[in-house]
Amino acid sequence: MRWSGEGSVGFASRENRSLPSDGETDGRRLMAAPSLAVDLAPGNPRELVLANPVIAASGCFGYGLEYAEVMDVQRLGAFVSKGITPKPRSGNPMPRITETPAGMLNAIGLQNPGIRGFVKKYPKLWEAWKVPAIVNISAESVEEYAMMARILDEQPGVAGIEVNISCPNIAAGGYCFGWDAVMSADVTRAVRAATTLPLIVKLSPGAVDIVSVALAVEEAGADAVSLINTLVGMAIDVRTRRPVLANATGGLSGPAVKPIALRMVYQVAVAVRIPVVGMGGIMGLNDALEFFFAGANAIQVGTAIFAQPGMLIRLIDDLEDWLRREGVGSVREIVGVALPAGLPTRQAATEADVEIDFAAAVAAG
Amino acid sequence: MVELDPILDMDFVGAGGVVVRAREFDSRILAVEPVMGDSAVLTLSLPPGMAGSLRAGQFVDVLCRVEGSYDPLLRRPYSIFRADPRTETMQLLVRPYGRGSAWLASRPAGTILDVLGPLGNTFQVNPRSRNLLMVAGGVGAAPLVMLTDHALADGRNVTYLMGAADADALLPASYLPSDVEYAVATDNGSKGHWGFVTDLVPEYLRWADQVFACGPEAMFRSLRAVASAHRLGGKPRIQVSVERTMACGLGACLGCVVETKHGMQTSCVQGPIYDMDEVVW
Repeated sequence: MRWSGEGSVGFASRENRSLPSDGETDGRRLMAAPSLAVDLAPGNPRELVLANPVIAASGCFGYGLEYAEVMDVQRLGAFVSKGITPKPRSGNPMPRITETPAGMLNAIGLQNPGIRGFVKKYPKLWEAWKVPAIVNISAESVEEYAMMARILDEQPGVAGIEVNISCPNIAAGGYCFGWDAVMSADVTRAVRAATTLPLIVKLSPGAVDIVSVALAVEEAGADAVSLINTLVGMAIDVRTRRPVLANATGGLSGPAVKPIALRMVYQVAVAVRIPVVGMGGIMGLNDALEFFFAGANAIQVGTAIFAQPGMLIRLIDDLEDWLRREGVGSVREIVGVALPAGLPTRQAATEADVEIDFAAAVAAG
Repeated sequence: MVELDPILDMDFVGAGGVVVRAREFDSRILAVEPVMGDSAVLTLSLPPGMAGSLRAGQFVDVLCRVEGSYDPLLRRPYSIFRADPRTETMQLLVRPYGRGSAWLASRPAGTILDVLGPLGNTFQVNPRSRNLLMVAGGVGAAPLVMLTDHALADGRNVTYLMGAADADALLPASYLPSDVEYAVATDNGSKGHWGFVTDLVPEYLRWADQVFACGPEAMFRSLRAVASAHRLGGKPRIQVSVERTMACGLGACLGCVVETKHGMQTSCVQGPIYDMDEVVW
């Protein structure tokens, strides 16, 4: 159930979750500071309530520690770790990145210490942190995804899991999980069965039909979806006549992808009832607002951090200032306002729908 | 699959145990001096107290775009050419090689830049080293000038070798302290030795206690050949400053890694300075 602000019957309100009041009901909303809080797993008893909707995206923020000296990491709504895999990976050969017009291509190759190396170091450090740490996981089989989720389930410093389904499925001859609704649902169901942690499934823009993938992972027990992952692209060096990246292709990110990301968020937000986390080329407040208006409950910032790490905190401040200037009591009120018929929760949610969804979520969990 | 170094072992501690904290700051271009043909030495203001904490080999990441534009998207890394604690300034040597550096090299004095730094590790001078040999190729001259300044202040002897395409592209001797021995090589023979700067290296290898090098990949290739032909028992040790395309500069994106005998390392945090023999070339 999505937080949409206006009279929706979300679980959070029904269960008296401790989200700060909008100040809307008592008619004093202009006097109170705007509420930035969002709940990304309203159907999940383990909760994923963020103090604000600004999240540092996976692959762009390391493990949080890398940025600790240049910014106040604890002020973020959340951050998502570098993608973790079942085994350690040394990543792709160099060059791994190249700049493109208003964007960049990367083919890092998921360099990471593996799930076991990862849990030895980071969760216990994060336990003392105020900011929720979400762990991004990637694997090449359904069983491996579930295995990682089981390990993460017991880690005290982990607030949630983001499942990267933009990986080749070895059992399906390397066809990407995230391009196919059935395979995406298989992964989601297996991870859901392995953990009660809040579960965000990160959708691939390479999907034949991203809406059907979103609906399939919602049905399979995802608490939220995030989108978009990078688009596969390439650059060729005209001097050497060879691809610039050693991997030939790489993931395109940055302002260049924003219109595509926004369109996909808009389409998915119309269809699903779980929270939507939008990302793709967000460089500042205006971009973020577009994503909220398109139906994102929260946003992730990735590539922009590389250029200006300070923009993350500025974005939180700018958003709060904007809400105050506009006389909006809560960021939840602006979610989906660009959708022609509003959010699905507003048009269709009934008590009966809610009960059914809740029962399914509990059964899956 | 290689077992990775613990990423927590990142070394944020500069030479002499000084903890050097990176930050994003505004910096004003105070002066622009044309040098080495199409390049420029920029003098930049620094936040109070930073200049004295800078160490040779470190770099800064400069945002090279007009405000309001997203292109070029990423920052550009520049080795620190010189730092002056008295005037709270540093200098960068900028060659207009790509879109970002062409923008930066053409900025007038007074421009405010968005700078992230200081970043990276530092050259390590052995306390017992008396004689230091610098080997610079083109714009790679930058970090070796700062190292030369610091070495002379510590009472060491420095020989600075530099190679470039032609006489115009050489660092003018006026940029080096007068008690440095300066020898040059040019590709067209218009000044100094006609050939590579690395041709000059063998005659100094018995004199030098340590060698420090910065330049293009081709220079490192010939330096490795010279080293394997003329060094005895791996001495003197050679430290190199490598260049990789970077995005974050803080060890997060893993885009700029260097393969070493200790695994993959981020050249922005665990580098850019490496012992030449530790790098898997």
